[in-house]
Amino acid sequence: MIAQLFFSGVALGAMYALVALGYNITYATSQTVNFSQGQSVMVGAVVAYALHVGLGWPFWAALPVTLLALALLGVIVERVAVRPFLRARSIAWLLATIAVGIIGENVAMLLFGKDARAFPSSLAIVPWTILGAGVYPHELLVPLVGLALMAAVELAFRKTLAGKALRAVSFSHDAAGLMGIDVNRTITAAYALSSVLAGVAGILLAPLLNVSATMGTTIGLKAFAVAIIGGIESPRGIVVAGLLRAAHVEGDGGHEARGRLVLDEQVADLGTVPVGEDRLIAPATSIPPCAWRSVTPT
Amino acid sequence: MARRTLLGLLLVLTVVTVTVVPGFTQAKPPVVVALVAAMSGGSALSGEAIKRGLTVAIDEINAKGGVLGGRKIELVIRDEEGNPSKGVTAARDVIEREKAVAVFGGLHSPVGLAMLPVFHELKVPYVGTWAAATNITRNDRKPNFMFRVSANDDIVDHFLAKHVTEALGKKKPGVILENTPWGASNQEGLTKWFAKMNVQPVGIEKFNWNDPDMTPQLLRLKNGGADSIVMVANAPEGAQIVKGRAKIAWNVPTVSHWGISGGRFAELTGDLSESVVFVQTYSFFGKQSDVGERVIGALRAKYGLKGPEDILAPVGTANAYDAMHLVALAIEKSGAADGAKIRDALENLGEHRGLIKTYKRPFTPDEHDALTENDYILVTWKGGRIVPVGK
Repeated sequence: MIAQLFFSGVALGAMYALVALGYNITYATSQTVNFSQGQSVMVGAVVAYALHVGLGWPFWAALPVTLLALALLGVIVERVAVRPFLRARSIAWLLATIAVGIIGENVAMLLFGKDARAFPSSLAIVPWTILGAGVYPHELLVPLVGLALMAAVELAFRKTLAGKALRAVSFSHDAAGLMGIDVNRTITAAYALSSVLAGVAGILLAPLLNVSATMGTTIGLKAFAVAIIGGIESPRGIVVAGLLRAAHVEGDGGHEARGRLVLDEQVADLGTVPVGEDRLIAPATSIPPCAWRSVTPT
Repeated sequence: MARRTLLGLLLVLTVVTVTVVPGFTQAKPPVVVALVAAMSGGSALSGEAIKRGLTVAIDEINAKGGVLGGRKIELVIRDEEGNPSKGVTAARDVIEREKAVAVFGGLHSPVGLAMLPVFHELKVPYVGTWAAATNITRNDRKPNFMFRVSANDDIVDHFLAKHVTEALGKKKPGVILENTPWGASNQEGLTKWFAKMNVQPVGIEKFNWNDPDMTPQLLRLKNGGADSIVMVANAPEGAQIVKGRAKIAWNVPTVSHWGISGGRFAELTGDLSESVVFVQTYSFFGKQSDVGERVIGALRAKYGLKGPEDILAPVGTANAYDAMHLVALAIEKSGAADGAKIRDALENLGEHRGLIKTYKRPFTPDEHDALTENDYILVTWKGGRIVPVGK
């Protein structure tokens, strides 16, 4: 039973971490968070579905187009919902990005429909048996790709010029600007990257969770909890928190469902916010610090 | 210049409206019926299916000259968004402002229950076309304004429990149901009927909407020694359950309430869909009566459907179609567009050849559910189509 929960948990956890890494990247560069990350997850899955299943494109052709669409989405979110408010030194980007997410979800509902659809994967049909647990090969692929991607992002931050520019901007806008780094463009790039990471999570999860217009909301919220627990400024903390968080949720195994509705669970997720070392949200919320206890199994 | 043209156009339009439209409205005023159902959100498909069933029936009735000597039936629709308080507002609105003389209800039981006092206060009958909660029709009101042409959880639970214990001969069922009032309604029914059959479920597991993985719940049932699964779920979660069951290589008979038919369960689960049997009130597949052929033909013409596989959420359409015809008969019998009189007439209708069956006497003062256990059918998927299974 533990092996079974481990495999499901690691796959989901790696994806929470991937989405949460997106929160980290934008927060580091601009002290803002894209609260429509969950919808980027959905857009990744829906666009890949539309191209691959709907139009019958081969997957290798659908993937780059999907990623491009996601990057574009990130750019639009930054330009429309973040930059104007940053310039005005307002925190209204918080609501604006949520609004973009709601709009995105409704547009998807309109274009894609309201049903959940199946995303075929030849790796998610016949389960393998490992340590007595049934595992779809796809469930093994998901964390592998996720971890590889996170390692690649980390490496790029350290080794490439663009990555170094991103880190410089996260260190100090003024100093980076003086060094000739285009701060605005770097922030835009951070948004594009975070949207792409979330979208990849959506594409990877699609065969396991199905594709629907509303699939992103819960994932985005859980990933935010992961980002806060792991420390929104620490990418490695996020990876660890993601894996632990999923192990917790999955290990909880539906006990969470007893007497508690979906909404309550999301509130409980938000309740985890003040626990992190985060100073962005903590002052703005009235949830007492002990509220995080409500996520532990009851 | 442009403005003058526009003004001219407006003038012409006004003249046309004033002179032509009265020509239409001089006909007798329509009799208004209303649908208050989920038209948006996760269960939007059910609302659309019900709307189609009602519309096809109304078109038939109006083509034959309407009711009460030439009055057409007109349908107004309100979206309750699955929200009980919005349902209450909508029910008041359609009755008091739109003058609806009968109101059809949608998928959500909590909404139906919340609207119940409104129908009794304003004396207009409610006819449920989907929501199955037992106490919608079985309430203590006298006279009772709540009718239903749909399944009733209590009867469905008996039907499912009987199938598991008698037809399948299983004595250790594992129950898995959604963590909602609908799940609770079935928990009550299943517990009751299994107990009467001297069977103790191995466990009763719950899950939330949008839960990604139900293998923990299934593992608990499996480890508890369950020899069959009784499932109360909608399509997305039902799919995750069935896929989870396959993943842990647990091959036991799976019997389900009808929630999984409200979405694309067969697509989501592929071949696994054929391992689930579930309950329906009607199947558009297989040999159809002439009424069935007529309804499919009308759906095809009006909504561009290719065949029965395009009739999503088919029970909504079938139930609504019969419900509308029964209401029309009651309007005709009562001789007035008056809610209270229509209610009385509904209890005393004669035989009616409907889509689901031939109703001998659809409702009586004591039985406000037009469909009984004998009208339920057990179905499964074969190649993505819902087909009846032999008893």
